[in-house]
Amino acid sequence: MPDHILESGDSPELEALFDSIATQQAVEPEAAQPADSNSAAPSLPEDVSPAVMYEQIGQLTRRLHDMLRDMGYDKSLEKVAEAIPDAKDRLGYIATLTENAAERVLNATDLAKPLQDAMEASAKGLGDRWNQLYANQLSVEEFKKLADDTRQYLANVPQQTQATNTQLLEIVMAQDFQDLTGQVIKKMMGMVKLLETELVTFLIEFSPGTKKAEIDPLLNGPVVNPEGRGDVVTSQQQVDDLLESLGF
Amino acid sequence: MADKNMRFLVVDDFSTMRRIVRNLLKELGFTNVDEAEDGQVALHKLKTQHFDFIVSDWNMPNMTGIELLRAVRADQQIKHLPFMMITAEAKRENIIEAAMAGASGYIVKPFTAATLEEKLNKIFQTLNK
Repeated sequence: MPDHILESGDSPELEALFDSIATQQAVEPEAAQPADSNSAAPSLPEDVSPAVMYEQIGQLTRRLHDMLRDMGYDKSLEKVAEAIPDAKDRLGYIATLTENAAERVLNATDLAKPLQDAMEASAKGLGDRWNQLYANQLSVEEFKKLADDTRQYLANVPQQTQATNTQLLEIVMAQDFQDLTGQVIKKMMGMVKLLETELVTFLIEFSPGTKKAEIDPLLNGPVVNPEGRGDVVTSQQQVDDLLESLGF
Repeated sequence: MADKNMRFLVVDDFSTMRRIVRNLLKELGFTNVDEAEDGQVALHKLKTQHFDFIVSDWNMPNMTGIELLRAVRADQQIKHLPFMMITAEAKRENIIEAAMAGASGYIVKPFTAATLEEKLNKIFQTLNK
């Protein structure tokens, strides 16, 4: 995908991103190898001090690594390890692209809005004067002036609609990030799925089964999948109902 | 009817969101709007300048919206200001927490212009009582 964008040659940011990914991938294969080499079968921890725990984790990792290699998983894990730094850059890239797109759209509407407002105001003004004419409230001179103004207004409208259309096109073009971010997100979903599968296997085999408490229960961000969750609201109406039930 | 000259402070760490809220307020006739990128900056502005209305996000660096709300309600000078929360946080605990801390309104993102208008009007009505 980077190649495709580089061809268009319009983004130095992108070249920088490409370079950073290329550098990381050159370094990556070594990092994928765990450091700990002797692999006595580890016993599961009972009373764990941090140092012991880390050592255990090291041994478990080694064992997992060997096990996965035996099962032919090491290649897929290597792929995941390679994908992580790549993915971090790509997420940053998505953040930048979407932010730029939002800026472009807001700029375009800022430009188009005054044009629309001006056309609306002129049309209203002319309309009012035509109504006066039909109510026989205009002199011949005023009628001539009205006809003149109307003619001029009509001559000006195409110019203003074209200017608005230019901004509409700008808004359409600002959506071009969707294609790029879509590709990146799909790639990352594949990676996350792979990582999840491997981690779940690991956890099922070695987890002592205690559940960690959430760090800050009030900073969760948007609810991505509300299905089957009773603890979140899914509409403004539910917010209002809840507040009302509390007497607010 | 609310005074169209009333001064709003829009607090959000994303400039895009601040711009959207600012534009919506402008559509509703409120053009006197200032912005802050987190609770800390907002609190400083609130203490040094005059404002009539606060619209704030929840999740922000340095100082979150709920912390800002508590700080505002604890300050004699500004404790009376209407405080509208506009946030992606949609857990029931969040809404209850905000209400208990003294929020005047709670809007979940994504939201519409109509929702903002409705909630603002509701707050204005309460203020005029």
